[in-house]
Amino acid sequence: MGNIIEVKSLEKIFANKSAIESVDFTVKKGEIFGFLGPSGSGKTTTIKILTGQLNPTSGMAKVFGEPVSKLKNPEYRQRFGVLTDNSGLYSRLSIYDNLKLYCKLYDAPLSKIDEVLAIVNLNEAKLKKVSTLSKGMMQRVTLARALIHEPELLFLDEPTSALDPTNSLHIHEGLRALNAKGTTIFLTTHDMQEADTLCDRIAFLNRGKIQLLDTPNKLKQSYTNSTMTVELTSGEKVTLPTGADGAHELFAYMKAEEIVTIHSNEPTLGEVFVQVTGRKLA
Amino acid sequence: MMFSLRRVNAIFQKDYKEFSRNMAVSSVIFMPPILAAIYGRMGIDSIESHYLIINMTFAMITAYVQCCLIAEEKEKNTLRGLMLSPATTGEILSGKSLLSFLLTGVVIVISAFLSEYKPENITVVAIAIILSSFFYIGLGTLLGLFAKSVMEASVLVIPAMILFSFGSFITKLAVQYPILKVANYLPNIQLIELATEVENGAHFGDVLSQLAGIIIWVMIIWLLTVVTYRKRMVD
Repeated sequence: MGNIIEVKSLEKIFANKSAIESVDFTVKKGEIFGFLGPSGSGKTTTIKILTGQLNPTSGMAKVFGEPVSKLKNPEYRQRFGVLTDNSGLYSRLSIYDNLKLYCKLYDAPLSKIDEVLAIVNLNEAKLKKVSTLSKGMMQRVTLARALIHEPELLFLDEPTSALDPTNSLHIHEGLRALNAKGTTIFLTTHDMQEADTLCDRIAFLNRGKIQLLDTPNKLKQSYTNSTMTVELTSGEKVTLPTGADGAHELFAYMKAEEIVTIHSNEPTLGEVFVQVTGRKLA
Repeated sequence: MMFSLRRVNAIFQKDYKEFSRNMAVSSVIFMPPILAAIYGRMGIDSIESHYLIINMTFAMITAYVQCCLIAEEKEKNTLRGLMLSPATTGEILSGKSLLSFLLTGVVIVISAFLSEYKPENITVVAIAIILSSFFYIGLGTLLGLFAKSVMEASVLVIPAMILFSFGSFITKLAVQYPILKVANYLPNIQLIELATEVENGAHFGDVLSQLAGIIIWVMIIWLLTVVTYRKRMVD
């Protein structure tokens, strides 16, 4: 599978302060790529560079095999969609009228409006004026807008940050369905659960640098302490090594029918991030 | 990529809906016709008075409304959405200009009717007015691109409103302050000169210098506007 995004030695400096430095990564066509990092780590700067909204100070960034400077060309803009935290909506218009404008701008059929509103669970509110919507609903409308032309590549900057768990799950399903149809998704999020369940690969960004990049499982495995916790019928919790030594002890508990639950002690992505960077995601 | 009228029309329709629901800005369209009705009833029938209303329309409606339309897109972060869409610079700026252009035309026709202004050569005057409206739309767009909010746009546009609505008064002061003779080259003064010539029986060929003056202003303002717009596409 080819790369849809290629980034090499990318650097952006704002007024002598480096926002990102020596960032290297590739995103394969068809994958969901998670870009994780705390506030101010350079996630939005990277998205802005990759969508042609910001010029890099140095380094190379290619999208669709072309330098990002070519993204100013309307033909390329037809191929990607963006949702950032400052994507605006026309507040005096209804949800439907907002999406209708974008249908026409992207040459998409108007029937797409109901389709994308179903993904973000807003079909019943489509005639509501945007000015009357909650922050979460507005976020769902901007997401619907980014999906309206079924882009090949979708940049999502914290797409579920203002949403309740039910709507977040609904949107995760929609994103998975979109990805299954072939849309590559570049996702930034604080939500480790979201990254873990949605992303094929994850990059940890900290202070403008990528610290780790791999699949969620491999990241967790490489930071596991190779132990398991066994909960016994007596209520006691015993920590055992996952190797041969632990196997004998575990077998003994099993033989005595003393085991209630067994949990592997692999770290969460959040714990891996803290171990690697010494910082919490916030 | 071809110039898409569908996209231009989509932006225009969106602007029309938003504008019609924004009384704070849309109410200005009543000012020139009210003034024209008062002038008409008072029997004031000089070229200066007719063009005070027309130039006021350009400043208060064409430039101001356009400036607010652009500034509001910036304030609400919707301009970036348009810029990231496949719509070209030409399509976006045309779509964003269409409402101001049509409003200008309608208000000028109504005001001319109310103030009983009947040009001797309506074709020449119409061409000059259309060209002038291109200048004021460009001016409004440029100021809107510099403003961060509608509030800021309302302040930014005030000097332009004074200069272009009451520019003819400045030329009267040029006798006392010769430096103000430079105001004679302003597009509003060129338009008044052209209209005066037309009333004196001039034809198309006799007013080419005034038309050229207005066209040069149109080219300068749109060059500045497009350059500024392209700069705003990147942070």
